[in-house]
Amino acid sequence: MASVDVVEVRKAYGSHAVIHGVSLEIEDGEFVILVGPSGCGKSTLLRMVAGLEPITSGDIRIDGRVVNDLPPKDRDIAMVFQTYALYPHKTVAQNMGFALKMRGTPKPEIDARVKAAAEILNLGAYLTRYPRQLSGGQRQRVAMGRAIVRDPKVFLFDEPLSNLDAKLRVQMRAEIKELQQRLDTTTVYVTHDQVEAMTMADRIVVLHDGHVEQIGAPLELYDRPANTFVAGFIGSPAMNLLKGTIKGDSVVTEDGIKLPINGAPPGSDGRPVRFGIRPEHLTLGGTIPAVITVVEPTGSETQVFAKLGEQRIVGVFRDRISGRAGEALPVGIDPRLVHLFDQETGLRLN
Amino acid sequence: MAMTATSAETAHHTSRSHRTGLALGKVLIYAALIFWAFICLFPIFWTVTTTFKTANNVTQGHILPFIDFWPDWKGLRSLGLSPDTLFEVSTVRDEFLKRFLNSVYASVGASLLAIVIGSIAAYGLCRFDYRFGWMKNRDISFFFLSQLILPPVVLAMPFLVLYKNLVLLDTLTGLILIYTLMVLPIVIWIMRDQFETIPVELEQAALVDGCSVWGAFFRIVLPIALPGMVAAFILSVILCWNEYFFAALLTSSNAKTLPVMVASQTGSQGISWWSMAAISTAAILPLVLIGIFLERYIVKGLTAGAVK
Repeated sequence: MASVDVVEVRKAYGSHAVIHGVSLEIEDGEFVILVGPSGCGKSTLLRMVAGLEPITSGDIRIDGRVVNDLPPKDRDIAMVFQTYALYPHKTVAQNMGFALKMRGTPKPEIDARVKAAAEILNLGAYLTRYPRQLSGGQRQRVAMGRAIVRDPKVFLFDEPLSNLDAKLRVQMRAEIKELQQRLDTTTVYVTHDQVEAMTMADRIVVLHDGHVEQIGAPLELYDRPANTFVAGFIGSPAMNLLKGTIKGDSVVTEDGIKLPINGAPPGSDGRPVRFGIRPEHLTLGGTIPAVITVVEPTGSETQVFAKLGEQRIVGVFRDRISGRAGEALPVGIDPRLVHLFDQETGLRLN
Repeated sequence: MAMTATSAETAHHTSRSHRTGLALGKVLIYAALIFWAFICLFPIFWTVTTTFKTANNVTQGHILPFIDFWPDWKGLRSLGLSPDTLFEVSTVRDEFLKRFLNSVYASVGASLLAIVIGSIAAYGLCRFDYRFGWMKNRDISFFFLSQLILPPVVLAMPFLVLYKNLVLLDTLTGLILIYTLMVLPIVIWIMRDQFETIPVELEQAALVDGCSVWGAFFRIVLPIALPGMVAAFILSVILCWNEYFFAALLTSSNAKTLPVMVASQTGSQGISWWSMAAISTAAILPLVLIGIFLERYIVKGLTAGAVK
């Protein structure tokens, strides 16, 4: 069993608190992704799990054992850094075998394990090369190889794909996911890219300003975001969040446009809300009077930036749309796909 | 048509005057460079040639060997280094070698000590946050660097008294200690630059891989920072080798170094220019060789991190 438990962990630099009481339970073999905008504390949290950053208060347990005061080398973890952090004066083989060498593993075993890891990652031909002779993707693989050779209890990834180009990122995403499933090692992965989070995670932890906004499976976060932050963060393009007031069984915007909802929560008549609808859930040919601002065809779909009264709205449609700025584009909304959030607190209402 | 012809002529004239201007500029630049090279190299030329002069050659100001004067072994003979005296017993030569070795021990010893202490200090200043009273890392670094601004003569009296009480006068140990202090600021300066170019993730990776903080320093950081260390070492050796003031002040017969020996080449007949020149040549030679063969490493070490 290699579970990771984060219990009410807080982190402050002097009087400036950056992590406010985060709690999280990660099961053995689970792939959990910490996601959030820059500065939300996800990397700091990961580094506290690794032991590279001291904890101000709270506990971190690996496999049930409190590791707060243990140095990184005694936590049986392996980490892949954003900048790969390969030792430039060592060959690929030496990089991958370094941790085993530190542990006093006999040389034949080191060689065998390095070779096995190299085969999994297609690095067999590069074992005698130095990091400076490798491409970005190859260096990324060596960094991963260095981690898997250790056979640790937990893998920690700190934005490992951020330095790669878009195409390579897509390819490596699949490789990392496949590797994790194959090795079945508990993994904590940090990224700011919500697409990476959605495609790779068993569960996602959305962080914002040192607080946990929501924890759940990817589709859970997509279908039922707990607040406006998660709603706007997960999904691309971001969810439309229109301001309005509940009146009867619809939400009315300031311009008087009526938006359908699937039954108002009891006692909420007159309440100012945020009306949430994902761009991909808008349909063509409805009664809601949007006016086109910009049409962006991407080939497989068309993104339309429009205005609903004075508020901006984005729609994504499979159909090809040829519209000019200023033209009317009536759209439809299925009330069952609507998300309602309180305008002040941002919390979900329906 | 006429317009085109005139403009073509003007273009031709401008380009010719432009080229003349460029050529003149180049000539002036080269003239200045040759002049400056002459100023820099002439003293060395003079020193080497004076080694082979006799008294009247020196006083009559003869400069060019084989043209103004005939080279003589007098200078080297007075040191016991001429071909006829090389294989005979010579107290002068023994003394010269003793001073030479003193210089070597003091320079190399002090530089090694400074590299060890300075590297650790620089690493600490780079990676950890210190606080001594009101001083933080930046203030501590400046404190170290400010030792370079201090004129050595200010320390003359204090060190004389201190060394007398510690019985360190005229000892190599005493000399090594003060030379270490002298070059420590430069070593810390260079090494701090070196360490700052090394990403901290490398050490973090080492910590995760099983190293302690010291392990990460010795196994990962130091090998990468080696060019800087070599550069700092060479620079320290050069500075210590040339040092005259403290060597003259704090040593007499035992620990005297080459610069002091050069300066003491005066006799009842006046300054023995030829032996002074001979010793100077011997003193300069190691540094010239270091400069020629290791210049690459000095530049590499000093400019590490200058270009991202």
